[in-house]
Amino acid sequence: MIKTFLQSLRWRLQAWHGLLLLLVITASVGPAYHFALENQNQRIDRELGRMERSLIRSLMDVLQGIPVDPANPGARQDRPYLPFQEFVDRLKREPVKVPETIAAQYDGRDPGYAYYSIRDEDEKVILQSANAPSDMHFLPLPKNDVVEESRSVDQRREVARSTPHGLKIVVGRDITPELHEMQGMAWLHLLVGLGVWLLGLIGGWWLSGRAIRPIRSISRTASRIAEGNLEERINITETDSELGQLSGVLNQTFERLHAAFERQRQFTADASHELRTPITILLTETQRILKRERTPEEYREALQTCNDTAQRMRRLVEALLLLARQDNQVAKERFQPSDLAVIARDAVQHLQPLADEKGRRMESALEVAPCLADPEAVAILVTNLVTNALQHGGNVRVLSSVHSGLAVLTVQDDGPGIAESDLPHIFERFYRADQARTGTSGHTGLGLAIAKAIAENHGGSIEAVSNSGQGTRFEVRLPVEQLPG
Amino acid sequence: MRILIIEDDPHLLRSLAATLREENYAVDTAEEGEDGLFKARQENYDAIVLDVMLPHLNGWQVLAQLRPAKKTPVLMLTAKDTVQDRVKGLDTGADDYLTKPFDIEELLARLRALIRRAAGQTHPVMEFGSLVIDTAARRVLLSGQEVAVTAREYALLEFLALHRGEVVSRTTLYEHLFDEDDSTLSNLLDVHVSNLRKKLGPDVITTRRGHGYSIA
Repeated sequence: MIKTFLQSLRWRLQAWHGLLLLLVITASVGPAYHFALENQNQRIDRELGRMERSLIRSLMDVLQGIPVDPANPGARQDRPYLPFQEFVDRLKREPVKVPETIAAQYDGRDPGYAYYSIRDEDEKVILQSANAPSDMHFLPLPKNDVVEESRSVDQRREVARSTPHGLKIVVGRDITPELHEMQGMAWLHLLVGLGVWLLGLIGGWWLSGRAIRPIRSISRTASRIAEGNLEERINITETDSELGQLSGVLNQTFERLHAAFERQRQFTADASHELRTPITILLTETQRILKRERTPEEYREALQTCNDTAQRMRRLVEALLLLARQDNQVAKERFQPSDLAVIARDAVQHLQPLADEKGRRMESALEVAPCLADPEAVAILVTNLVTNALQHGGNVRVLSSVHSGLAVLTVQDDGPGIAESDLPHIFERFYRADQARTGTSGHTGLGLAIAKAIAENHGGSIEAVSNSGQGTRFEVRLPVEQLPG
Repeated sequence: MRILIIEDDPHLLRSLAATLREENYAVDTAEEGEDGLFKARQENYDAIVLDVMLPHLNGWQVLAQLRPAKKTPVLMLTAKDTVQDRVKGLDTGADDYLTKPFDIEELLARLRALIRRAAGQTHPVMEFGSLVIDTAARRVLLSGQEVAVTAREYALLEFLALHRGEVVSRTTLYEHLFDEDDSTLSNLLDVHVSNLRKKLGPDVITTRRGHGYSIA
């Protein structure tokens, strides 16, 4: 179970996604919390600074005998200048009492209480609030200028300041309420972060599911194809996405597999179908002859029949193999620059005896027609067309030329032509317009199918034009290829 | 027994015809569907061997045009062996169906069965008192002893036996025992009947004057 989780693309995506999301959330929530904490400390420090200034000022006022306005103790009044050194010296010498209104601010131990402590250079207490803790930290006296430092101790924040005049001050306050507030905020941040993380996880799960759905569909289709349903194809909805492209490639592969499989199946079906009759002849004839003793004449006759039949089977098998060999890469490897005219001339010469035997005339008008072809295959193509014309037609004309960028070969006969109903089927395997049987006249019913396969394997086309009574014209068009030299 | 073979492959036709003739059938042949249909309508064959793939008029069309006027048993020969093809063949009115390639003995056995069934007989061995005719082995036994009969004599005896109890006219006998190429001599039948009576006893075949012959 664990192993399948680890192997599942979706689970792996989800795990990485969760991890990255956690990092991002931590990296954004952590500094935010830290910043808020800093911000609060700065605010508290500023407040402590204000309180300290107000304390010092009130002490100055007391020393100078200026009454404190009870309603507004911090109000700025015009007061005579008191140098700070003199103020420190007087503070050390004279007993001073902090005004009531100021002292009230440094009282008790309720949450948020403030305290202060003013000491001399020997840390002897000059003035100190009653609630001042014992662990205050005073800064050593500086040579010149004022030193100041803020720090947090337990649940308190305090600002320590020392002046070169020999005065050490600490003003602090209890920050329990702020800490509570920060704790609440931390929890809130944690909860929000967790929520965002969970939402992200759910979204990621949904997203990875969506991303993986086409893969599942592809895999389902592929397994159905593997089970033998070769006509099935992957349904491509998004043609431009990576998966769409993959599906396209897979579909092309399936298409080619299917085509190859179909060819194989067709070959087997054709072969077994067409071989049935000759095999029946062989069986019938041999079983009949073997039933009893025969005269030599009868044996000879039967053997002749068997021989004829076996020859016919051989022609058929050779033709089927030739057909099956077309339309593959191996055939294309044998392509070389060739001249249709030369191939056609040789084929016509080859077939002259057949024409003579049938009492038919053959003419040819062959112009140079260069093409990239397997000369052997094209020779078979021409031979098949001319033989077909001689068998079914009459006198034959063979032409070759280059026409609008195509090498064109035409085989024209003046025979009875092909009926319109037969014309669309003549290139089908074993289709016989005249329904003549395979064995008798020596042709297999595959000649035109082979011609078509050869033409198409060369990237060309073949077409038959016929009007009943006006002969038939076969036109083969192959792409022109410049001959070397 | 007279049989028509409709088959366009000349080699196969010749071979089948020769086989059947050697089995003492009278055989007519046709290389095309139309010719075959014409003959099948014209004559009363005991069975027709019909190839499916024929030029012009194929086997199915021949069969469709032959039925229902003629009830002659038809054995179809075909290169197609799917179940649908066989079902189609039998449903179109064929009596039996044989896929190429076949063994000649199977074809002969199926033809014998077809002819027997068409004549209303179910068992290949027929008994008439002490006379036994084994149509499968093509033998004639009298009181357990095999009697040597010629091919024609056997064919005559078998035809009468298959139509036992019926009076078979001389014309019918001529039609079923001789094929189209036989030069029929009018008294040939009488010679065969007379020979059979000599071999099997005078009462085996009865003559109905003006009607024909019968076996009881």
